[in-house]
Amino acid sequence: MKLQSLKALIKLEFKKLIRQPAILFLNLLFPAVLTIVFLFAFSDPELGMDLSFVVPGLIVYAVIFIIMTVAQSFSAERQEGLLKRLSTTPMTSSEFMGSRIITQLLIAVIQVIIVVALAFILGFRPVGGIEGVFLALPITAIFSLSSVGLGLITATISKTPEAATGISFIFILPQMFFGTFIPITETTRQIATFMPSYYLLDSLRLIFEGNWMDQRIFTNLIILSVVSIVIIIIGIVLFGKYGKK
Amino acid sequence: MSTEKKDNSAILIRNLVKKFEDITAVDELNLEIKQGELFGLLGPNGAGKTTTINILSGLLEPTKGTGLVRGFDVTKDQQKIKSLIGLCPQKAAVFNFLTGRENIELFGNLHSIAKKDLEERIEILLEKLELVEASKRQAKGYSGGMLRKLNLIIALINDPQIAFLDEPTVGLDPRARRATWEFIRSLKKKDKTIILTTHYIEEAEALSDRVGIIDYGKLIALGTPKELMRKYKTKNLEEVFLKITGRRILEGI
Repeated sequence: MKLQSLKALIKLEFKKLIRQPAILFLNLLFPAVLTIVFLFAFSDPELGMDLSFVVPGLIVYAVIFIIMTVAQSFSAERQEGLLKRLSTTPMTSSEFMGSRIITQLLIAVIQVIIVVALAFILGFRPVGGIEGVFLALPITAIFSLSSVGLGLITATISKTPEAATGISFIFILPQMFFGTFIPITETTRQIATFMPSYYLLDSLRLIFEGNWMDQRIFTNLIILSVVSIVIIIIGIVLFGKYGKK
Repeated sequence: MSTEKKDNSAILIRNLVKKFEDITAVDELNLEIKQGELFGLLGPNGAGKTTTINILSGLLEPTKGTGLVRGFDVTKDQQKIKSLIGLCPQKAAVFNFLTGRENIELFGNLHSIAKKDLEERIEILLEKLELVEASKRQAKGYSGGMLRKLNLIIALINDPQIAFLDEPTVGLDPRARRATWEFIRSLKKKDKTIILTTHYIEEAEALSDRVGIIDYGKLIALGTPKELMRKYKTKNLEEVFLKITGRRILEGI
C-alpha cells in the first residue's frame, strides 16, 4: 500500500465532505441539528427520554446515515465514470477501499464529538463523566464499518445515486427503529438484537451511565467487531465484483 | 511471466473478441502498433473502438484472444500496464468539486509522481493547453472545452509511454480542436505511442501515421491514410469507408 496514494485519496474524501453541501449536511450538520432539536424538543424524562437516553441514540442515528452517504458517493462516482478512471491508475483496490474506510471512521469519530459536545453545552452531564466519550469513540468507529459495508451493498444494487438514496433506507430504517432513540419493548428488543446498532447503543448507554467495566460492553464490542468486519467484507466483495459496472 | 518487449511493438492484438451477451463488440481483431506511432482507430459510433481501448487499458476483460501492451498481457499484468499508459476517456471524468489543478494533482499522486516533478509537469501541461487560470477554479464551473482539456491533461500527467485518446476532440470548437491536434503532434515528437479513436475523418487524416478502420468490431482496412486512399482510389478516408461498407461513417452517429 503506497502512502502517497492513500493520502491523496483521503484528502479527496475530506474535500468532498467539505465542498459538497449534501454530504456535509448529512455527515456533520444533520447530527448537529438533530442533537439540538431533540434535546430541546423531545427529551422528556417522564417518558424515559432524558438526555442520557437520547444522546447515545443520536450518535447511533448519525453513524447509520453513513450508509446513505457511502452509497450515494460510490454510485455517483460509478455513474460519472470516475471509478473507471481511477482504476486506470496504478492505485490498488486496498488503497482505494482503505482510504474510504479510514475517512468514514474519522467522520464517525467527528460525529460522536459533535453530538456529545453539543449535548454537553445543552446540559448533558453523563453519570460516568464526559471522559466516557474516549471509550465511545473506538466502539462507534467499529460500528461505522458496518455502515460502510451496508453502503457498499446498497451501491452495488443501485443503478443511480438517486436509487441509492432510496434503497439505503432498507438498512437505515430497521436500525433506526430498533436501535436509536426510540424506546423499545422487550419484544422489539429481541428483533433489535439482529441489528448491529443495538450493540453500539447498549454500549454507549452503559458507558455514559458510568458502567465502564460492565462485561456487556466487552461482549457487545466482540459482536460488533465480528458483524462489522463480516458486513464490510461482503460489501467490498460484492461491490468489487458487481458494483463497478 | 511476461516481460517488457525489447522490440518495437507497443501494442499487439491477436484474435481479440469481446462479446456483451449476444452482441459482438470486437470481432477477431488483429493489430500491431509500433512504438512512437500515432495510430488512428477510425469508425462510426458503436464500431468497437472504445471497447478495444478499454480492453487494452485493463477496464474490460476480453472474451477471447490476447492483447499485449509493451509485451504485458492485458489480463495478467494490469498493474504494470497501468504504469505505462494514460487513458483519456471519451466522456470527461473529473471530480467537479476539485479545482482543475487538484484533479491533476490527485491523479499524479495516484501515479506516485514525486512532488517536484508533479508540480513541473502540471505547469507545463496547463500552459500548453491554456488552462492555467481556469485550473484555480472548481471543475464544476468549466465549459465543455475546458473539461476536455482537463481530461486530456489528467491522462498525460504520468508522462505515459502509450496514450489512449478516446475521441479527444468531440465537442470542441474548431480553434480548440486545432490546438488539441497540435498538442497531440507534440506528444508524437516525444516518441510517445498514441492510439487515437475518432469518427472525424479529417482528424484521422491529419494526425495519424497509420489508420485502422473498424466497423462492427472488425478491422476492415489498415494502412497510412495515403496508402488507403491510393488502394481504394478515393480522395479521403470517408470514401474509403464508403467503398468498403456502402455506408458513410457519420451515418452511424
